[in-house]
Amino acid sequence: MTAKILTHAVSRPPTPRVAWRRINPTIVIFLVLLAAICWISPLYRTAPGLMSLLQRASPVIILSAGQTFVLVTGGFDLSVGSLITLVVVACALITGGDGSLTWIALLAAYGIGLTVGLINGAIVAWGKVPSIITTLGMLLSVKGVAMLWSGGAPEGYLPVNLRYFGRYVWRHVPLIQRLPVAVVVLVGSLAVLVWLFHFTNFGRLLLMIGDNPRAAELSGVPVRRQRMLAFVISALAAVTAGILLGGFSGVSVDVGTGYELEATSAAVIGGVVLLGGEGSMTGAIFGGLTLYALFTLLNLIGFPEPLRVAVQGLILVAAAALTARRSGTRQ
Amino acid sequence: MSGITLSTRRFRPQGLLPAALIVGAALTYAVVSLATAQSAQLSWAGIAGLLQRMVALGITACGQTLVLLVGSIDLSVANLISVSAVIAAHVMNGRPDAIALGIAAAIAIGVIVGLANGLIVSKLKVSPLIATLGIGLVLQGVLSAAYDDLPGSVPASFRVLAYGHVLGIPLALLLLAAVVALAGFVLSRTVIGFRLYGVGGDARTARLAGIRTDRFVIGAHIAASVTAAVSGLYLASWLGAGTPWVGRDGGYDLDSVAVVVIGGTLLSGGRGGVAGTIAGVFVFATIDAVFNMLQIDPFLGQILRGLIVISSVAAYTFRGKAHVA
Amino acid sequence: MPNRNGTAAIGKAVDGTVLLSMQDVSKFFGSIQVLDTISFDVRAGEVHALCGENGAGKSTLMKILTGAFPVSSGRILLNGQEMRFVHPVEARAAGIGIIHQELSLLPHRTVAENILLGREPSRGGLVDRRRMVTEARDALARLGSAIPPEAPVASLSIAEQQVVEIAKAIATHARLLVFDEPTAPLDTVESAKLFRVIAELRSSGVGIVYISHRMREVFEIADRITVLKDGCGMGTFDAADATPDKVIRLMVGRPVSALFPPRSATTPGEALLTILGGGNAALHDIDLTLYAGQILGVAGLEGSGKTALARALVGDQRFTTGQITFRDGRPAPRSPREAVQRGIAYLSDDRKAEGLGLRQSLRDNASLALRALAAGLALPSIANRNPGRIDALFRDVEMRAADFGVAVGRLSGGNQQKVVFARWLATAPHLWVVAEPTRGIDVGAKATIYALLRRYADAGGAVVMVSSDLTEIIGASDRILVMSGGRILVELPAGSAESEIMAHAVHGPGQVAELVA
Repeated sequence: MTAKILTHAVSRPPTPRVAWRRINPTIVIFLVLLAAICWISPLYRTAPGLMSLLQRASPVIILSAGQTFVLVTGGFDLSVGSLITLVVVACALITGGDGSLTWIALLAAYGIGLTVGLINGAIVAWGKVPSIITTLGMLLSVKGVAMLWSGGAPEGYLPVNLRYFGRYVWRHVPLIQRLPVAVVVLVGSLAVLVWLFHFTNFGRLLLMIGDNPRAAELSGVPVRRQRMLAFVISALAAVTAGILLGGFSGVSVDVGTGYELEATSAAVIGGVVLLGGEGSMTGAIFGGLTLYALFTLLNLIGFPEPLRVAVQGLILVAAAALTARRSGTRQ
Repeated sequence: MSGITLSTRRFRPQGLLPAALIVGAALTYAVVSLATAQSAQLSWAGIAGLLQRMVALGITACGQTLVLLVGSIDLSVANLISVSAVIAAHVMNGRPDAIALGIAAAIAIGVIVGLANGLIVSKLKVSPLIATLGIGLVLQGVLSAAYDDLPGSVPASFRVLAYGHVLGIPLALLLLAAVVALAGFVLSRTVIGFRLYGVGGDARTARLAGIRTDRFVIGAHIAASVTAAVSGLYLASWLGAGTPWVGRDGGYDLDSVAVVVIGGTLLSGGRGGVAGTIAGVFVFATIDAVFNMLQIDPFLGQILRGLIVISSVAAYTFRGKAHVA
Repeated sequence: MPNRNGTAAIGKAVDGTVLLSMQDVSKFFGSIQVLDTISFDVRAGEVHALCGENGAGKSTLMKILTGAFPVSSGRILLNGQEMRFVHPVEARAAGIGIIHQELSLLPHRTVAENILLGREPSRGGLVDRRRMVTEARDALARLGSAIPPEAPVASLSIAEQQVVEIAKAIATHARLLVFDEPTAPLDTVESAKLFRVIAELRSSGVGIVYISHRMREVFEIADRITVLKDGCGMGTFDAADATPDKVIRLMVGRPVSALFPPRSATTPGEALLTILGGGNAALHDIDLTLYAGQILGVAGLEGSGKTALARALVGDQRFTTGQITFRDGRPAPRSPREAVQRGIAYLSDDRKAEGLGLRQSLRDNASLALRALAAGLALPSIANRNPGRIDALFRDVEMRAADFGVAVGRLSGGNQQKVVFARWLATAPHLWVVAEPTRGIDVGAKATIYALLRRYADAGGAVVMVSSDLTEIIGASDRILVMSGGRILVELPAGSAESEIMAHAVHGPGQVAELVA
């Protein structure tokens, strides 16, 4: 009778993985939206049109890719919007319109990002304050710093050479004719982020921390340090996005407002699972692209501009519900 | 097992916390007003002014307390406050006879939004953070799109709510007291309240005891949204009209969560109550008043507030051993 | 209060009505049979003990009874009526209560609020606090307890919380109560109180299933005893007709199969670690020397301190007293990370909660420790640079998965455990602390793991193997420690009889003094 129980336990045969299942559904959604955009507007059928779409989408994509580092560990970073504001305000005040100070301003901006990221990370990892509270608190404080520094109502524009990154377009480029500098910054940033996330121990360990922090800890992962670095990366990505945005628009205390939620929405749309453990750079990038393509499409069909936010909210909830459903049936 | 042993060690009597917070804040207020020679702040008018600052946040925070107790969170309250204020002003449009209708419209929207939040959280299993942030965005978008089409102002008779007095006590304070008393009564005296603690404390245990946990989650969300709508009504009465930014500028999302947590309610649910919440609101009101008296730059005040929120939550979470993300 | 004169004297086998009858119950998980036509009944007013080793099927049987698992075949009759529970709520409503080791109370609510949760006495929706307190007090009084109903549960001791849990069950008019190793977290005095409570329940006609390894307890309170082994019933006896020896023999009497590789004849290597008087909140006076090339088995019941010892060795719950010296002269690691860096591996007894990231791939899980060691430098990920290295380890642990990129959560328990072993093999540790290395896995995987541990020891590694599975303790260890009450009770040589170890382990902490003396 023992033998009956001892009969070899069949390990479940691994289900054959169909190739299409590996494709992130967000890519498909993006392509559909893009097709719709091209169909409606001839402008986007040209390379320069697509380049300008990419140019305007680049801050959100960089932000959501950066924030994904935090999201996959199970945290949130809601301070990035304020950080963008602070970066733009800081750049404006440091240069005071003097282009020769641009490099100092850039250095200072990344210094600010590093500081904010370190503070966020330290409070969450060592202070054990849930990141939703920590970064909401930082949202307030960082914006307060921006207001205090600028006296509340900064205006004007950044010096031309600082706006170069966001605004300038190289012309007469072979094949694509026009190449916005922002797209180059985007590609460069993504190269770094993708490398960090997918091709380093650090990045791979983030997913494990989000999935099971205790297992990671017992296997010797420096969980706290990793968490903190994730916040630093998110903050540095926000600084980069802020520099691009400063090129697009003028200086005000509302430059970054709302971007934290756009970035989170983009990541969630891209299949990054809130509370950690699942997510990819592909998802974050295409989530950002999808969100931006959707906004563009809504614009083209004359959808009222302010309602964009409402659509974003609906998509956010829908994407989270779909993800919850998917992971619910799988378990 | 270990969960229970740990909490045994960390257990602190909650009953004293609200009182301690209130006494501490009141003393600070008194000392600062004396030290800066602004003893007018200590007159009845000064104190009533201080207390009146608590009304909007206090009412919202009562609803937020219920949601947090049940283990959820509501980050849509700020935008809902704006929606409520705008809708109420629009419906009333200066006509005293439309006051009841305006109030009803605002409350109805609160019920609908709360129901939506609750259903998304309990039935679709979406993280409450995302669900309520998302619904908040929807409200914000709809409001900013429709605001130009929703002009209106509240009639003078409705402004009595914010400015009227009964027996020398501001009417608004009585409204706050009524909301607090109602929430406190439900939590500490009724079957609903008792079970709400069970659902937030351990949903599995509650289900095993035959409690339908989803209903409590939905109910708490409706309560939170209705209190936000009431806050919106109050603000419309205070300002004379509704604006799409009244809620967000007030920071009611974070502040309502923060005061609840400062008042000793667990972010994860199952412990706490409105007494602590109201103490937390009082602390916030005194912080603002003290910053004012000390003539601290309002922007610096905002920085300090953010830091106070973080550090006060840290005071509760710091010693835990579990991983926090 | 009914008068009592000691637990043993209360009338055994009261009215004899059969409350519950489980007939020919079988249970399969996939193709694995874990229960084989078991019949088990409980009469009103009796304590029926259920004995068996870990993995014998006790908890599966009880999960079927309490509605957590559906039955594969067989019938369950409650008061003569056939029941098919699909959810624990139904079993509860039918009057079946279970007292788990992990209590399910709300720590921040009062005793009365917990006992009457979901059934608060009320009028018009308002809770009648006074009646609530009275009812709770009555329920507690039936158990002979005077715990104040207004006290918050978090302020009670574990033993008191257990009583509250029992009160909660009987306040729902449970007719049948299952106690799952209730004395594990209790000391002798508390255990004695619990037995009085159980006797009280019995005399009021409640049927009780009592699960325990501790023979002394079983013979102290049980009227009948049923022994399970490997999912089969080994018989049911009146406690009066049985002896502890007989029960233990039935529980463990199984030839040590060819599961275990032969021990090597070589003498132990040098001392790797010496502990003198080590202790912390859960451990006392630990004296211990570990030798390279040896597998040290640590046996003991739940709560004996054996898991605490494992955690202390890897720096997760540090030693606070005593002298701990490693071969290199360093003290005990202060954190798991330091342990990993110093070549100490830890395999947790809770694979899901502490071992694996279930949504991550096999490769990611197996590379975890290697990556942790390299993390600070953010080097290119090892698996990406050299997948062959991890894949070779998978072959070493005889992992049979077609795709090493799938999520670990999709694997069987055995394969999951092999992933954890591969993780640590990759770091080439010199001390390996393994807790319950074969819990919940199939026999094939067990053999692989024993062979692996032996190969590792033969290559000069030291193993501390904490286990509740005596077969494994005997078959795989070179030396055996028996722990109880956070102390090392006795050290036995390799090949000691299971009954001898059991005899030491089953005697609660109360008997430590006698045994030592």
